[in-house]
Amino acid sequence: MALSLTKEFTKGLWAEIPPFRLVLGLCPTLAVTKSLENGIGMGIALTFVLVCSNLFISLLRNIIPSKVRIACFIVVVATFVTIVELLMQAYTYELFLTLGIFIPLIVVNCIPLGRAEAFAYKNGPLSSIADGLGLGIGYGLSLSALASVREILGNGTLTVWGGTPAFTMSPDFLPFKFLLTAPGAFVGLGLMLCLMNLIGKK
Amino acid sequence: MIPALLLMLGVGGVCGIVLSLASKIFYVYEDPRIAMVEGVLAGANCGGCGYAGCSAAASAVVSGQAPASVCVVSGKTGAEAVAKVMGVEVGNAEAPLSYNMCEGGSRAADKYHYMGVSSCKAMAVVFGGKRLCGVGCIGLGDCVKACVFGAVKIGPKGYPVVDDEKCVGCGACQKACPKNIIEVKTLSERLMKFNQKNDPLAPCAQTCPAEINIPLYINQLKEGKYKEAVRTIRLRNPLPLACGRVCPHPCEDECRRGIEDEPVSINQLKRFVSDYEMNSGSRIPITCAPDTGKKIAVIGGGPSGLSCAFFLRRIGHQVDIFEAMPKLGGMLRYGIPEYRLPKKVLDWEIQGILDLGIKSFCYVKFGVDFGLGSLMAAGYNAVFLGVGAWEDFSLGIEGENLEGCFTGINFLQRISGGEKIKLGRTAAVVGGGNTAVDCARTLLRLGLDKVYMVYRRTRKEMPANEVEIIASEHEGIEFVFLAAPTRVIGDDQNKVTHLEYLKMQLGEPDKSGRRRPEPVEGTETLLAVDMVISAIGQSPDASFKKQDPQPRMKELELTKWNTIDNNPATLQSSIPYIFTAGDAATGPSLVVEAIGGGRRAARSIDLFMKGKAVEPMKDSLQKKRIHESIFTHVDGVKKTPRAKMPEISVNERLDSFVEVDLVLPEVDAQKEAERCLNCCRICYNPDTDFPMAKKAG
Amino acid sequence: MGDLFVLVISCIFINNILLAQYLGNCPFLGTSKKMETAIGMAMAVIFVLVLAGGLTWILNEYMLKPMDVVYLQTLSFILVIAALVQFVEMFLKKSIPALYGSLGIYLPLITTNCAVLGVCLINIKEEYTFIESLVTSFAYAAGFGLALVLFAGVRERILLARVPKPLQDVSIGLITAGIIAMTFMSFKGMV
Repeated sequence: MALSLTKEFTKGLWAEIPPFRLVLGLCPTLAVTKSLENGIGMGIALTFVLVCSNLFISLLRNIIPSKVRIACFIVVVATFVTIVELLMQAYTYELFLTLGIFIPLIVVNCIPLGRAEAFAYKNGPLSSIADGLGLGIGYGLSLSALASVREILGNGTLTVWGGTPAFTMSPDFLPFKFLLTAPGAFVGLGLMLCLMNLIGKK
Repeated sequence: MIPALLLMLGVGGVCGIVLSLASKIFYVYEDPRIAMVEGVLAGANCGGCGYAGCSAAASAVVSGQAPASVCVVSGKTGAEAVAKVMGVEVGNAEAPLSYNMCEGGSRAADKYHYMGVSSCKAMAVVFGGKRLCGVGCIGLGDCVKACVFGAVKIGPKGYPVVDDEKCVGCGACQKACPKNIIEVKTLSERLMKFNQKNDPLAPCAQTCPAEINIPLYINQLKEGKYKEAVRTIRLRNPLPLACGRVCPHPCEDECRRGIEDEPVSINQLKRFVSDYEMNSGSRIPITCAPDTGKKIAVIGGGPSGLSCAFFLRRIGHQVDIFEAMPKLGGMLRYGIPEYRLPKKVLDWEIQGILDLGIKSFCYVKFGVDFGLGSLMAAGYNAVFLGVGAWEDFSLGIEGENLEGCFTGINFLQRISGGEKIKLGRTAAVVGGGNTAVDCARTLLRLGLDKVYMVYRRTRKEMPANEVEIIASEHEGIEFVFLAAPTRVIGDDQNKVTHLEYLKMQLGEPDKSGRRRPEPVEGTETLLAVDMVISAIGQSPDASFKKQDPQPRMKELELTKWNTIDNNPATLQSSIPYIFTAGDAATGPSLVVEAIGGGRRAARSIDLFMKGKAVEPMKDSLQKKRIHESIFTHVDGVKKTPRAKMPEISVNERLDSFVEVDLVLPEVDAQKEAERCLNCCRICYNPDTDFPMAKKAG
Repeated sequence: MGDLFVLVISCIFINNILLAQYLGNCPFLGTSKKMETAIGMAMAVIFVLVLAGGLTWILNEYMLKPMDVVYLQTLSFILVIAALVQFVEMFLKKSIPALYGSLGIYLPLITTNCAVLGVCLINIKEEYTFIESLVTSFAYAAGFGLALVLFAGVRERILLARVPKPLQDVSIGLITAGIIAMTFMSFKGMV
């Protein structure tokens, strides 16, 4: 049991790490990774939604009729997204403003819906939580990695939390602004994917 | 709290109500079986079956487009479950198989040498997939990648080879191929395929009236796969033994090697493989599609009727043949003498066709012993009319009815039937066609001292096969060219003594391109003969039209040549359920033409049986050539002599009706097959290595 | 009128939903392998987005605002969009089977297309009027379609190139999208 739980958890960290292995949820990946702080924030928000919705759907999986299951999934996910939205508005308002529209858009981020359909609807609550936690953290790590690269090279800083940079490059460093723009996001993610492919599958 | 709850309830409620109303209003009836079938399918949405997902496959099954065994993942148990829902037997539908039309040869390496790209589709997008050939295989293996069952491999020659054992007929390779080279078809579809505009066809395959894939069978022969070669021929021609002996092989006229060298002896090779089968002692099994439960009457057991019956039977229909003569074979039996096509060979071949489960009734004449009414009453769904052309034209000259005068087909038929005819010592055969030559050579074998052939034009214009003319020259037949018979002179006992003819000279070419003979006044000449055989052509015997009491028969329209009028593309006559081909429709023509016609009629009958519109095949190449495939010169051909046809000596011939032409020995056949340039539409393999391959190597 | 024109131009080119706003990337990569699919998807998005834009504006203006429950935006919008897509699917199947045949298979993908929900949320955030909402919805969708079709064209050509193995498929796709996005950046300052 414990072994399989660990397996469900760790597969999200490497074997199926989104968005690299599991090419889902690209929009926020591109949009919010201008700074590490955003990446971490998004990761936490998604992890919360994913774990809660997975748990909920897994608990309700015998009640939800299969014909309207997608609608039910959407409502469940949307509910938790709204909760996250309200929580962030209350406690991390600055972050809420920078992430902006991408918090409500977690609803249509394919990861929670996809996991609900592919995993939680078929598995018990414990494994579902492990699955959600793993994938959520994996997603957060991916975002953080991409965000770190983009922030350091693009802005010359690294902000972990609270808006003030924890680390700043020497003033001689000329920031590579391209990485902060939309094309930079696309190219950066493309190169990251390439890197992951290089490291090898599994 | 409360407004929020109210709102959500409201929005949810409204959405629910609208959707449930909409599902009532916009309800589209869907067969409940679709959901049931989908339920038993594997649900993997893999697309292996060739449909867009399981639900699409399920609706295809329910609408009858896909067999119960559609799902390639769930295997036999799945097929049984689907069959149970549908209430049918498993395996009722024909299994489609993938096959490749392009023979590629080593040309693939030659022509498609694109650096750095390994996708056929990509090549097709950029270059139209060609440097030279717009229709051929690109050979980069998109089909191989598409096949999830590992059934397609790129063969040693650079084009895909399909493993029939592994192929499930899913169609993925066909979809992946940008050139329509690899196709997934059922046996019926393959049997009923006709040459089309965009097919990769060599000139010989375009010319063959039966549309045999000639380069393919020659290639199979070359590789020693004789059985496969016979199978390839049988996809288009049920009478390879007969054709291999009597066909005037129009295909060889278009052979590309013939442009620089002597053409490949295609017909000899066909004869070689079919004789190989006959002499091997066992018949190669011929596969037929599952029974359709439709019954078709074939009237006339000649080449067109046999061909039509053969193909109808192979695509699953039940066929009965009705023949007026004592035995099946038509002109093959009664019009072609024993020394060209031994009856033993013909019997063996016809037996193979009847063994497919075709019933035959001989000695019954259409219009006399049975008619349209009795056929319909007996439950036949369609009729194929292949009664041939058996009425000899008369010369229309004085003295034609004297004792010792005969007409060509009638004479040959009586001899073949074993009748003893009172013969003379010297004979004149009037005419220059194959029937005339056959009559003349038969007469020699019957022991006559002298046989003349009297023809209006010169040797160059003679329509008979060149081989036959040469053989008759060897055998000592004397030709009287530029001579038009004017009178047959008899003695007081009404016996023929002389044939009077007028000398002719050639004038301006007429419509057919042959120079028109004009009589030279006052040149009447007498030829002392005691037999005159006129073999100047035949027309169909359409007496059944008057004899059949069935009123519907009056609707059957005839042309002014007494042939049965039909739509030349579909071969449907003026009565929708009557189809016709062969000499009865075209007037006297080649055996291979009748065979091709029989297959074409079979296709139309099949459409008619299925309740579909009887329409011609799209982009059909019937009697048309692909312009770009006809060359004026062929580079790189090293002249090598054509295999000589072995034949028995003239002395041996004249005493008997023993077959004159012999089959090629295996070594010679192999050598001859090597001469084939393995052409496709615009490419060919010259004897020398390809320049490209040499450079690369 | 002029304002609306400026709005259209800026929505299609400058703030292109895909390339500048990062919305709708999943279908962007998923349906751009073939030109045919890309056109079908683009049409379906335009169709649904205009309807959804109008509907959510009405919902927000006359239900959420008066009842002071704007925080339920996300929940109610996604519900309405899902229902709308379902409705459109049923409607097309019955009334215009030909159109259903060509767009039908893309409709389910739209529910989870973040471009749709995103544009609806942007409309509300920017406080557009009803007409402006409809126009921006259309313009954003058109921009989505434009980018998708352009990208599909490029992607069909990428098939020809010898792409190093690690870069194949999505990776090279994203880099290509980046380059297209760069070209769209040059529209900045146009308005």
